[in-house]
Amino acid sequence: MQAKEGDLVEVSTDNEVLKGRLIPGPDKTRIVLKLGSGYNISLDRKKIKKIKLIKKYQEKENAFPFIKTKKGLKTVTILHTGGTLASEVSYETGGVIPRYTPEELLGKFPEIADIVNVKSRLIRNMWSEDINFKHYNLLAKEIVKELRKVDGVIITHGTDTIGYTAAALSFILEGLEKPVLIVGAQRSSDRGSSDAAFNLTCAAKFIAESDFGEVAICMHESMSDDNCLIMPACKTRKLHSSRRDAFKVVNGKAFARVSKEKITFLRKNYGRIGKNHINIKLFKDVKVGILKAHPNMKVDEVRFYRNFDGLVLDGYGLAGNFPINKIDNFTLENEKIYAELKKLSKKMPLVATTQTIFGRVNMNVYSTGRKMQDIGILGNYSDMLTETAFIKLAWLLSNFKKEDVRSLIGENLRGEISKRITSEFLE
Amino acid sequence: MKDDYDKINFLCGIEIHQELSGKKLFCSCSADLKEEKKDLEIKREIRSSVGESGEADVASLYEQKKNLKFVYYGYEDEHCLIECDEQPPDPINQDALKTALEIATILKLKIPDELIVMRKVISDGSVVSGFQRSLLVGLGNEESFIDTSQGRVRIKDIYLEEDAAKIIKKERDNVYFSLSRAGIPLIEIGTQPDIKTPEQAKEVASYLGMLLRSVPGIRRGIGTIRQDVNMSILNGARIELKGFQDLRNMPYVIENEIKRQLEMMNQGNKIKEEVRKVNADCSTSFLRPMPGASRLYPETDIPNIKIDKELLNGIKKTELIDEKIVRIGKQYNLNNEIARVLVKENKLELFEELHKQFGMPELIARTILLTVKDLKNRLGLPSDKLTKKDFEEIFNYVKKGMLDKGLVSKALEDRLQGKFSLAKYKVVDEKELEFFIKNLVKEKGNLSDGALMGIIMQEYKGMVDGKRVMEILKKIRGT
Repeated sequence: MQAKEGDLVEVSTDNEVLKGRLIPGPDKTRIVLKLGSGYNISLDRKKIKKIKLIKKYQEKENAFPFIKTKKGLKTVTILHTGGTLASEVSYETGGVIPRYTPEELLGKFPEIADIVNVKSRLIRNMWSEDINFKHYNLLAKEIVKELRKVDGVIITHGTDTIGYTAAALSFILEGLEKPVLIVGAQRSSDRGSSDAAFNLTCAAKFIAESDFGEVAICMHESMSDDNCLIMPACKTRKLHSSRRDAFKVVNGKAFARVSKEKITFLRKNYGRIGKNHINIKLFKDVKVGILKAHPNMKVDEVRFYRNFDGLVLDGYGLAGNFPINKIDNFTLENEKIYAELKKLSKKMPLVATTQTIFGRVNMNVYSTGRKMQDIGILGNYSDMLTETAFIKLAWLLSNFKKEDVRSLIGENLRGEISKRITSEFLE
Repeated sequence: MKDDYDKINFLCGIEIHQELSGKKLFCSCSADLKEEKKDLEIKREIRSSVGESGEADVASLYEQKKNLKFVYYGYEDEHCLIECDEQPPDPINQDALKTALEIATILKLKIPDELIVMRKVISDGSVVSGFQRSLLVGLGNEESFIDTSQGRVRIKDIYLEEDAAKIIKKERDNVYFSLSRAGIPLIEIGTQPDIKTPEQAKEVASYLGMLLRSVPGIRRGIGTIRQDVNMSILNGARIELKGFQDLRNMPYVIENEIKRQLEMMNQGNKIKEEVRKVNADCSTSFLRPMPGASRLYPETDIPNIKIDKELLNGIKKTELIDEKIVRIGKQYNLNNEIARVLVKENKLELFEELHKQFGMPELIARTILLTVKDLKNRLGLPSDKLTKKDFEEIFNYVKKGMLDKGLVSKALEDRLQGKFSLAKYKVVDEKELEFFIKNLVKEKGNLSDGALMGIIMQEYKGMVDGKRVMEILKKIRGT
């Protein structure tokens, strides 16, 4: 009988005999054995003379807790979009076994059962970078369905595009008056130090013990496992590639701080739990892009967007400036860029945002900004994140007439534009 | 003796953990462990994580039950996001890898052609991530052994791993750690349970310690090497002893542990597998349950490390300290003790450079080892400040016949006191000296050799070699 992954085997090469459990290798040229010491050893398949089966692998039954609904606790549905929040490392696949059922989830995070009654479902198993507008619609419909039965929804999500999804859901779910919290984990849940459990617990506690009723992101406040912040869907950005406190509110404040012990609201203006008459406004498959200004820009880059429905111009500094001025013989291309932007602007909404991330766009101060306004580029006075501007523009184009899109882009609909920017900055 | 241990079926193997110097294993933080300026404090929880086999590790569960919070202090230059488990690891430190490969080569272990970095689950807070990164560098075979006075002991394996954070204090449910030691490269050498007596355990530990100290890139000083002893006796269970302060006490500690187990069995108690701490009085006390085998899973953030022939061929095989002592003893005709001190005190390089220029091995070795110490101990002079240049100058005079070799110590003494002047040590003309002694014997022939020596040495103010004076004196007197 041929040995399979997980089986205990004895492998002979020219000069050694090794006993261990067969583990999936990185490719077909190698064989990996888990030795008695627990260490894996990788062997060149070509050098192996014999593999003797010693004992077949027997899969262990995982004993998951029996879940009893507790009276007096709110009920929360956890919708999974993939990622590794509750995954485990496995023998059979050598990789990660996803764990999504309520039983599996509570087996891993038993403390949540004391906070809320849990329902749990897998919507999609995917990397967050692969998510598109169709997934937003699917997720929104599932949320609407769930919120008819439960008190709140937690969405587990890969962290790379949490900001986009949060903004998208808050636009789609017009009239939402129940909590929808998005959580992720920056450090994988197969490690003892993962931030997954803490983020999930804080989200559950916030839903269980507050009157909050809108879309928000729940992630670590600092590098310590002591507080999570409940952050506004449209004004939160991932500002670090790996830290657990990567998510920061830009041009605004978090709604609340949550620890295992207590909830502290940091703002009075937030959406509260209400009748929850949702008027769902889904995305269409519109073509919207983001074009980032950079030195030595070519008109071809701008021309590329001719067939799009809308474009966010992620420009420099105060006005979201683009290189549009002919200064000397070196800057002839800039004249072409300006002409091309003018053409595009007649066809579709162009929205300026700033690469500085923080601060408001003001196109009145310098002549470049004024020239951009002259050709109808939108975004003046707005402090929207580039990512939020992109989502909003696509959503407006999916649901409103072109003229209305141009006026609505500058109007605050979901907290995406703040009237006042106070002094908080990277604190 | 050995028979007594055979009777109780004493089985014993040891593990040596040696820290390396330079940078940390998976980041570029300093491994200097200075802990000068604290610039970070974070608080964490660690959940027990499930290993590949699907069973949570017993040791990890035990720690989780304790419901502890962990506080980590970071010090300038000695932590970054990697120790805080806020960033994936950098590629492995090549210097540390080469040191590990060299040790594996010296001990003739089989080095796999591809190394796999593993995560060893540790939930006591001493590793921020909840696991220690560790890789198997070499596996023992029939060629990997060391010969001791009590027989052969086989080497089982060698690992390269990250050191854990050092505990600072415990306060109620909070445990405080310093991140400075976390991630420092650590070599682990394990033997097979071939050790037959407690004394042999010490011999093996000393030999491996010597071997490690021979290789470049090893951290030196207290706490940079740690020994664990794994032992069992008939009807007992495997016990791991951790935290030996002094290698010399190792046999007593093992003796005491054997006695403890025998007494427990006499009282009808069963011995449980556990990890025990070595106390200052050579007794042991319970530390934690024995960790299980299911505590490792692959570190997926680091690709497997290919070990090609080119890399292995580039590994220099350093001469071991013991080999070096024998070699230089023979090469320079020095006695074993002098050779040993030259190596131990790191004076070999200086010795060899001076020897190359001037010859005179015995004089040079004695001067740089004994005279230097004597000047410091007897006269309180800062003789450790003497440089190679100082020695070169003095030996140059000796070689040219401008300074008697009996006066090297005096010349160095004067030099340290700023009173050095070559004229003072003018080599006394042999004929003139003989003439003086002849006359003296004629005049005061009734005095003893010792008394005459005193007069001669006073006349020449210590500027002549006493041994030579005595020879001349004896020749003239015909004694």
